Amino acid sequence: MDSRPGDETLLLAVAERDMGAFRTLYERHAGWLAIRLARRCNDRDLVADAIQDTFVAVWQKPQGFRGDGDIAAWLWGIAIRRLVSRLRTRSSVAAVFEKAEAAPAAEDQVLLSVEYGDVGQALARLSPEMRAVIQAVVLDGLSAREAAQLLRVPVSSVKTRLYRAKAHLRAALAEGSS
Amino acid sequence: MTGWHLDDDALRRYVERTDSLAEGTSVEQHLLSCEQCRARVTVAVDVIDLAAVWDRTRDTVEVPRPSAFERLLRSAGLPAHEARLVAVASAFRGVWLTGVAAVLAFAALAAAMGHARGEWLFLAVAPIVPCLVVASSYDPWMDPALEPELVTPYPALRLILLRTIAVLTLALPAVLLFGLVVPGETAFAWLLPAVGFVAVVLAASTWVSPLRSAIAVSSSWLAVVSLLATRPGSPDAVLQAKAQAGFLALAAASFVIFLLRRRQLRQLRPWR
Repeated sequence: MDSRPGDETLLLAVAERDMGAFRTLYERHAGWLAIRLARRCNDRDLVADAIQDTFVAVWQKPQGFRGDGDIAAWLWGIAIRRLVSRLRTRSSVAAVFEKAEAAPAAEDQVLLSVEYGDVGQALARLSPEMRAVIQAVVLDGLSAREAAQLLRVPVSSVKTRLYRAKAHLRAALAEGSS
Repeated sequence: MTGWHLDDDALRRYVERTDSLAEGTSVEQHLLSCEQCRARVTVAVDVIDLAAVWDRTRDTVEVPRPSAFERLLRSAGLPAHEARLVAVASAFRGVWLTGVAAVLAFAALAAAMGHARGEWLFLAVAPIVPCLVVASSYDPWMDPALEPELVTPYPALRLILLRTIAVLTLALPAVLLFGLVVPGETAFAWLLPAVGFVAVVLAASTWVSPLRSAIAVSSSWLAVVSLLATRPGSPDAVLQAKAQAGFLALAAASFVIFLLRRRQLRQLRPWR
């Protein structure tokens, strides 16, 4: 594994305009970024555009990574915002967060610890709209404004849904622990 | 690396999006910090054509970055190829702009000295600057980039108008700014003449080359101004209401002629 340079080494090489390093970085990260984006937007062309924008941005400003945390997390931060700005310029696309038939039966749920925890069940009981807002704001770290653009709803709806979702979760968790 | 990795089922559900929000979230959290699992997900990607997106990405970054001005045009809503066409005009190169700014600065400085002669100088120079810049922005002699444009099927009228607007938005604020240091009404009186001259140059370029028409217009104006300067009286007098109305009429008439004769644009016929 010694022959494989780390992401930070690659990024430094990209800053030196090394196309080979850029390609390696792309091959390592474009895939999972695309899947993660596709879970938030069902238009694949748009996802492809956002991936392209992301890596163009990386090429143009590799020094944007300040060496704190994971490069993967930094890339995701760029990618989700690129998706939001692509969505803003298109009017006909709706972001999806879940397919209607997506919810698996409870017994099929994986053995990830969160599934067994109260949080997982509480999340599962939220309405799709509220879950979408929780995902965008709490889990993806978008601002209310960005989340509103991603979900194509007014900022005020994002705020109210977030407020209600948090109240629901709080109530569900309090109920579970009592 | 934690030593703990996603199992294949969880990974499959994640890629197929058949998991719950909670599960998906914990998968995503793990992926952020686990290179090995990221690689496993990447193998399963079928949402987009990664190779095609890579080609597009590489093509984009290998094209030289557009100039600041071109990016400004794009953000103003111009499509990329048109922004390029407008921005390549030689009138937008730094040297050219600096030269124009220097000439204007001298004229404004002379006028600011409070000297009648200085005011005349500003009055002579300011109105012809925009039309000279406009002419040079689409004259094939000044702009070798126009050669390939001539053979591409592109509406010349649109190109010229776009460039004219771009030039004016660049040149007018500069001239206006210098005008602020010029005392009296002279400072703004030249605006209508300037617009009139630009329109005349556009109209005249349906007969002769743009640069020639601009030179003709400028020399006539200089001649008129120097003639007036030998007489007693303030420069302001020249640009009072009557004369201003005249310039407005000139601008309107020239623009109409230009639109009527747009098919005869010299630019479309190599005249060199």
